[in-house]
Amino acid sequence: MIRFLATRALGAGVTLLVKSFIIFSLIGLMPGDPLDLLIQANPEATPEDVAKLRAIYGVDQPIGERYWSWLTQALHGDFGYSRAQHRPVMEVILPALGNTLILMGLAFVISTIIAVFLGTVAATQKGRLLDRCINLLAYAGISVPSFWLALVLIYLFAVRLGWFPAGGMPQQGEGLHGWAVRLTLPLLALVMVEIGGLTRYARSAMLDVLGQDYIRTSRAKGISTPRLLFRHALRNAMIPIATIIALGFGYLFSGALLIENMFAWRGMGRLILEAIMGNDYNLALVCLLFTTAMILVANILADLAYTWLDPRISLGGRRR
Amino acid sequence: MTHLIEADNLSVRFAVGGGLFRAKREVQAVSDVSLTLNAGETLALVGESGSGKTSFARALLGLSPISSGTVRFEGRDLAAMSAQDRQTMRRSVQAVFQDPFGSLDPRLPISAIIGEPLRIHGIGTARERDARVAELLELVGLPATAKSRYPHQFSGGQRQRIAIARALAPKPRVIVADEPLSALDVSIQSQILNLFVELRERTGIAFFLISHDLAAVHHLADRVAALYLGRVVESAPRDALYSHPAHPYTRALLDSVPRIGMGKRVPGHALGGEIPSPLAPPPGCHFHPRCRFATERCKAEVPTLRPIATDHLTACHHPLLEAA
Amino acid sequence: MSDVIEKSVSVWALRWRRLAADPAALAGLAVLLILIAVCYAAPLFEAWLDVSATETDLLSRFDPPGGGHWLGSDDAGRDEFTRLLTGGQTSLSIGLLGALGSSLLGTIIGAIAGYARGKTDMVLMRITDGVISLPTLPLLIILAALDLSKLGFSQDFIRSGAAGYWRIVLIVTLLGWTGVARLVRAGTLALAEREFVLAARAQGAGSWWILTVHILPNAVSPVIVATTLAMGRVILAESALSFLGVGIQPPQTSWGSMLTNAQELIGTAPELAIYPGLLILISVIAINFLGDGLQAAFDPRSDAR
Ligand SMILES: Nc1ncnc2c1ncn2[C@@H]1O[C@H](COP(=O)(O)OP(=O)(O)OP(=O)(O)O)[C@@H](O)[C@H]1O
Ligand code: SF4
Ligand SMILES: [Mg+2]
Repeated sequence: MIRFLATRALGAGVTLLVKSFIIFSLIGLMPGDPLDLLIQANPEATPEDVAKLRAIYGVDQPIGERYWSWLTQALHGDFGYSRAQHRPVMEVILPALGNTLILMGLAFVISTIIAVFLGTVAATQKGRLLDRCINLLAYAGISVPSFWLALVLIYLFAVRLGWFPAGGMPQQGEGLHGWAVRLTLPLLALVMVEIGGLTRYARSAMLDVLGQDYIRTSRAKGISTPRLLFRHALRNAMIPIATIIALGFGYLFSGALLIENMFAWRGMGRLILEAIMGNDYNLALVCLLFTTAMILVANILADLAYTWLDPRISLGGRRR
Repeated sequence: MTHLIEADNLSVRFAVGGGLFRAKREVQAVSDVSLTLNAGETLALVGESGSGKTSFARALLGLSPISSGTVRFEGRDLAAMSAQDRQTMRRSVQAVFQDPFGSLDPRLPISAIIGEPLRIHGIGTARERDARVAELLELVGLPATAKSRYPHQFSGGQRQRIAIARALAPKPRVIVADEPLSALDVSIQSQILNLFVELRERTGIAFFLISHDLAAVHHLADRVAALYLGRVVESAPRDALYSHPAHPYTRALLDSVPRIGMGKRVPGHALGGEIPSPLAPPPGCHFHPRCRFATERCKAEVPTLRPIATDHLTACHHPLLEAA
Repeated sequence: MSDVIEKSVSVWALRWRRLAADPAALAGLAVLLILIAVCYAAPLFEAWLDVSATETDLLSRFDPPGGGHWLGSDDAGRDEFTRLLTGGQTSLSIGLLGALGSSLLGTIIGAIAGYARGKTDMVLMRITDGVISLPTLPLLIILAALDLSKLGFSQDFIRSGAAGYWRIVLIVTLLGWTGVARLVRAGTLALAEREFVLAARAQGAGSWWILTVHILPNAVSPVIVATTLAMGRVILAESALSFLGVGIQPPQTSWGSMLTNAQELIGTAPELAIYPGLLILISVIAINFLGDGLQAAFDPRSDAR
């Protein structure tokens, strides 16, 4: 177990390094130059001043060396400053990370529960009206542009009905009620987008399991259907479902990015977008690395979930 | 005289296993096999499953890696051939495989399947190839309408005929047939066997036949070689081998099939036990754990292949007397 | 040549029959074809209705539906209906090109990995896994926002509409090939062991022949399905990028770019924010229906069901 975790963590570390270099290089190709903005702010800067600034910021060096110096600093815990917010990057990221985890975590739990339920129902009702309706809903979920769905929700529930605010974070003193009110619409949007794919996977995983001999035998033995479904079949169906969920973490994040943006939810997604759009390179870089790291951790968790759900698999020697 | 095909001390080894934490091991599928095939001749290779027949045939066809030894075609070393010569040799050596369901591309119509070797080698114009396909269909006993149909529309025997027509397309000198009958119904087997006999009469083609069906081998072969765990244990003209098997393994193979009606043989013993894993072959004579005649010498010393009569070779320390 | 035609009859006829028996897939196909036809007929509609999808007319902003303006006019007085059609040309064609591009790249990489095996395979699959676990949307945004002049492209090219269009096609290709690569690799690995491939090798066929004549045609079905489904995802990605302002740039227009200022419109003219999104939703649903139908039609087991 410990050995498994160690190998996986090592692998993830290497992946992260490679990716940090790729992202670092890409960010270097973004429009503008961090110095241009400093120089524009100070019209009296002489060419010598500019050269001095370049030396300080290390912009003159080849990409490999710039990356190396960034990396050594980062490994010492110093992720640098956000240019736009004039604060250390970590100070900016941590609250955003918290907000994102609240939104994504809730969406994750709610959509998994709903999707597994709908998928199970659809599988048992295969071909009937209920299955068709659930299927159509799932198709809509995977086919809708999430930002547009958010827009429609805002129009309906904020503009027309006025039940919820159109967006923004809860203010100090708004308490739990404030959180509930402001979270409802973004959560609704994220869950609606997320359950589409999940329901389809849950349905087909359930169908596979229900087609297996032992379930048919248990049925013949007269074990009651709900018990059979939720005790035996679901446990087996959860194995493929868990993988899809964990591997779909990146997808959930992409959805969250757009939705946070629509509802002015101050999470990682919105932060990344602002950083990219505002040429705040360092912030964008660190945000992306955080996101990549979260995806890697989710993948490792998926493997752990595997073993927990399927006692036949031992860690390290994963069945393929 | 140069032989059509000559294998000289041919060995084929496969690396197996070798995960992240496991060491790679070697399977010696074929060890130092020397065999020759002359123009127009039919040589049969017999042996139990896993004895290395397929690996040897594939090495001849250039499909398995040759680990050591040489293959010569008309006296010229395959490994030293120019790319162009090798293509010429490929035209002359064609293959028929065991599974007629797997050896035809399900997406291609029969005309494309049979014409494939011609197209690969750029033989003839499209029209000439069409004519050749029609000719071949007739030769293997299929209706001319077969050419625009697909493999799934044919039975196993018909498919094997198609595979044979494909092999004949570039007018090869030899056909290497690896268990061409064993996937077919018994009633169909004899039809295909007769087709081989007929083809040999009409075209003078040589066959390298792999089979564990000793009755079929008797029907077709001029010479027979027996393979055990990658080694040739006996090779002889057909009649000599069937009437006077010198190696206890060959003898047991023959005893294990219903009487074929050859010569006088005392009722023998069928083969007991299992073929050992080629990953860990027994020392000395590979056959000793299953041999009724094994002695201490057999456990220690590898018997070499040596002549015991004209053209009759065997690798046994104690060849059966009646062979002499 | 005649071979190719003959062979396409049998297998594909069977599949078409299965597809034709699936109402959802047929409906998806029909909707998609109609959408494409109508979108590309935009110039005809403009001439017939005497409206323009591109000319601004500040005197007729937010006109209600009526006259030649079937769906009214937008915030710059352009005809909304024909504008939706024009935008649809961009969205649908980018969807198709991006899907084809990723499938082509994925097919090449997957075929190389599966056919070469060994180290090549390992390296290529490592890269594939790496790309899969990247945060897609943020990377798409970065790639869409990259400063092309730093890569040595001329300013003229960068400012042209074509740059914005092809940039999107290119980046969805660069991030979207992984699924097809895995499918093709798995297919190639399995097919390379089949006896008909061995037979071709024994006949002296080269790698190119084997891949193009035997392996890829036999591995193509899942790729067609994946390409179809990818078209839907590309349309969604394009809409998101254009909505965020890093995709299709004016004067070019797409359904996504028509939503760029939708957040302001929602208060004043909500239908302008609804139409483009609705069209995206409809076309992507249609594509997904078609893709799933194709999957079932290509699956030989579906006969047994
Ligand atoms: N590609 C390969 N990789 C590893 N081992 C192999 C490979 N091909 C064959 N072998 C091994 O080599 C040995 C000989 O196999 P081969 O297929 O040549 O025997 P055979 O006589 O043709 O048997 P059969 O009658 O079953 O076809 C077997 O132990 C087999 O497992
Ligand atoms: S050498 Fe010995 S063990 Fe081997 S076959 Fe001959 S008698 Fe049997
Ligand atoms: Mg074999």
